[in-house]
Amino acid sequence: MLRYTFFRLVQAAFVLLVMTFLLFMLIGMMPGDPVENMLEGNPALTPELARQMRELYGVGVPLPVRYWHWLTAAFQGDFGFSSLYFRPVLEILGPALLQTLKLMVATIMLSIPLSLLLGAIAALRPGGWMDTVISFFAFASISLPNFWLSLILIIVFAVQLGWLPASGTPLAETPSLGLQIYHSILPVTVLTMFFVGPLLRYVRASMIETMSSDYIRTARAKGLSETTVIVKHALRNALIPMVTVLALGFGMLFSGALVVETIFGILGMGKMIFDAIRYVDFNLALIGLLLATIVTLVSNLLADLAYAWLDPRITLK
Amino acid sequence: MSAIDTELAGIPSAPRQTIWQLRRKRFLRNKPAVIALAILLVLSALCVLAYPYSLLMELDPNETNLLMRFRPPSAKHWLGTDSLGRDVLLRLMYGGQVSIAVGVLGTLLTALIGILIGVWAGFLGGKVDAFLMRLTDVVIALPMTPVLIVLGAVDLSKLGLSQALASSPGAVFLRIVIIIALVDWTTIARITRAATIEVRQREYVKAATVSGARHLYNVLVHVLPNITTPITVAATLSVGRIILFESTLSFLGFGIVPPTPSWGNMLTNAQELVISAPALAVYPGLLIFLTVISVNFVGDGIRIAFDPRSEK
Amino acid sequence: MNALVEVDNLNLHFPIDGGFFKEKLTLRALTDVSFSVEEDETLAIVGESGSGKTTLGYAISGLLTPTSGRIKFGAALGGHSQDRPVQLVFQDPFSALDPRMMVGDIVAEPLRLQGVSRAERLQQADDVLEQVGLPAESARRYPHEFSGGQRQRIAIARALIAKPKLIVADEPLSALDVSIQSQILNLLNKIKRDRTISYLFISHDLGVVHHLADRVVVLYLGRIMEIASRQDLFATPSHPYTQALLESVPRISRGRRKPGQALKGEIPTPLSPPPGCVFHTRCPRAQEVCRRQVPELLPAPGRPEQLSACHFKD
Repeated sequence: MLRYTFFRLVQAAFVLLVMTFLLFMLIGMMPGDPVENMLEGNPALTPELARQMRELYGVGVPLPVRYWHWLTAAFQGDFGFSSLYFRPVLEILGPALLQTLKLMVATIMLSIPLSLLLGAIAALRPGGWMDTVISFFAFASISLPNFWLSLILIIVFAVQLGWLPASGTPLAETPSLGLQIYHSILPVTVLTMFFVGPLLRYVRASMIETMSSDYIRTARAKGLSETTVIVKHALRNALIPMVTVLALGFGMLFSGALVVETIFGILGMGKMIFDAIRYVDFNLALIGLLLATIVTLVSNLLADLAYAWLDPRITLK
Repeated sequence: MSAIDTELAGIPSAPRQTIWQLRRKRFLRNKPAVIALAILLVLSALCVLAYPYSLLMELDPNETNLLMRFRPPSAKHWLGTDSLGRDVLLRLMYGGQVSIAVGVLGTLLTALIGILIGVWAGFLGGKVDAFLMRLTDVVIALPMTPVLIVLGAVDLSKLGLSQALASSPGAVFLRIVIIIALVDWTTIARITRAATIEVRQREYVKAATVSGARHLYNVLVHVLPNITTPITVAATLSVGRIILFESTLSFLGFGIVPPTPSWGNMLTNAQELVISAPALAVYPGLLIFLTVISVNFVGDGIRIAFDPRSEK
Repeated sequence: MNALVEVDNLNLHFPIDGGFFKEKLTLRALTDVSFSVEEDETLAIVGESGSGKTTLGYAISGLLTPTSGRIKFGAALGGHSQDRPVQLVFQDPFSALDPRMMVGDIVAEPLRLQGVSRAERLQQADDVLEQVGLPAESARRYPHEFSGGQRQRIAIARALIAKPKLIVADEPLSALDVSIQSQILNLLNKIKRDRTISYLFISHDLGVVHHLADRVVVLYLGRIMEIASRQDLFATPSHPYTQALLESVPRISRGRRKPGQALKGEIPTPLSPPPGCVFHTRCPRAQEVCRRQVPELLPAPGRPEQLSACHFKD
């Protein structure tokens, strides 16, 4: 197990390194002069520094060399300044990441019980009317454009009914927890609607499979009540691999968060990346994308490890 | 010889139901899938009729008229006009052409990349397989939307294209198709690989090899025709996913650029209209939703119809 | 008789990838295997599953490359590995035929790979189908329309069309009903009468082997235990393993019978075969020498044609 963990860690680190190169290359191909971009926003900018930067990252310098300069600086903790916010990118990153994590955690906390409940109900009678309705809901969930759902919810609940705010960020300087939750209702609803579909389909399929297995028949034969059979045996068994599904859905959820944050004006990672690319903030876009990649890589890694830990049948390579 | 005679008696005199007739029958029994297919056909027909409709009603999808902004539905403008006075219905029809075209072309390219990589990995196995599957894992691990935005933001003139060419509608359209295919091929690659590995071990492939067949012959003659089912199902489902990717990208401003309409970019400014003209925010998204959910139902129907285990 | 195929000291090992951090294992499928197949002969390979029978068949047909040793085709055949005059017939008639191809195209495939024109090869396919007892109109049908026995005939037709000198038949009967088995057996015998052809008949069914084989090779854990003519093998089995195999099929064994020789235990894993004689873990006669020394394949006492690899052979 330790060996396996170590191997996967080394692998993830290697992938991350490759990703830094690819992202560095891609972001260099955004419109505008990358050097200008990297310099802008640095309050300590002097002609001398500008000349140095041109030597390191200028047009004539080959891509691998430019990448090497960036990488060595990055390892020393120097990710440069944001041309959009006129601050070091690392200062912007922390609060943004926190915002996004809040959003994602809230979504996951809602999605898990919801998908378990709906999945279990659907699996009780496959093909019955409850199953039909729930399956249609799952199809709708994976087919809904989340930006449109956001707009529709804003139109209905914020504009027409006036019940909820259209903005995801409270105006108050130090908003209370209640206010924060109040402003998060719509964004979290959109994300949950987007995330629950795949989870629910998974729970339903795995429940149907377990319900027809031998040990469920044994449990029933022992005279256990149907509720005990479903909750204690079938659902619990469906939960273990769900860890994997959840972790693999992390990247997807992050993608959804980008759209939702942009529409609801939440200053999270997604909106940060979006703005950085839109206004060609070289340093900020790079670090934002890297962090997003790290988050998904780590969640994938955890998924693999959790699966290996939880399921004793898996033999490790 | 009597033994052989009895053998002959067992040979069917007329071909039984072909597998395709069987599949069609099973698909037609699946009501949601049939309804979804009908919706798709109607929507596609609607989009194809955009040009004749514009002639008939004497409308131009891109001509702006600031005196005609936000008009309610009328005899000439069935769904009213948008913020620049253009006919909403006509722009929806043209936008649908773009969205569906991206969905279909993107899927074809996705399938091409996915099949090439999947067959390559599955048929050769060993180190090639290990490398390609690691690559697939990495691409799957990417946060899709951010990566697509970066790819959408790439300045094509930095790749050597002339400024005029880089910003032409054709280049923009192709760019969307290509960048989506670049991140979406993984599902089909995995499915193709698994199916290839299964077919590769079949004995008819071994028989051909003994008779002198090379890899390419086996792949083209034996493997590909036998793995079409899982690929068809995966490709159908990927049409819906790609339409969603395109609309999201276009909505965010990194996909199809105005004035060319697409269902996604028709919503780009809708956020500012939620008070003045909420209907404008409803139509394009509703069409995206309808198209994607229909494609997904059809894909599911194909999966069930093609699945030998669902045979009753 | 002339040797058609000579197998000389054949070894075939599969490296098992133990992952990045584990040591690599080796599966010894075949070890030091030497024998020959004569022209116009039916040579049976018998053994339990896991004995390396199928691997041997694949190696001779060129599907697997030997780790060491050689497989030589008779000088008259040129000996090129590219155009080995070998065809295969498989155990499972369902996965042996491509479900997407018409039977005519399946049967004609070896000719297609030789570059024969479509009209010509389909003509030949019709002829061969009739030779195996199927009407020519079968050519325009798909495999799923045929029964298991009919499919096996199609597979045999595909093998015959290439005019092979040797057909490797890998348990061609074991997936069929007993009544169909005898029909296919008769067909194989009829083909043998009509043309000069050798069979390498892989089987675990000694009854069938007794019915069909000229000579028999007994394989255990990738090594040859005994090679003998059918008469010698069934009348006077030399190796204790052969005796045990015959013991389990009492009807056909007319030789001396020593009670209590039925095989006990399981065949060991070829990942770590026992040292010395590979059979010693299950052998009733095993002595200390069997654990240390690999017995050579030498003639049985008084029967120079019957070779047996045992320190205490009969």
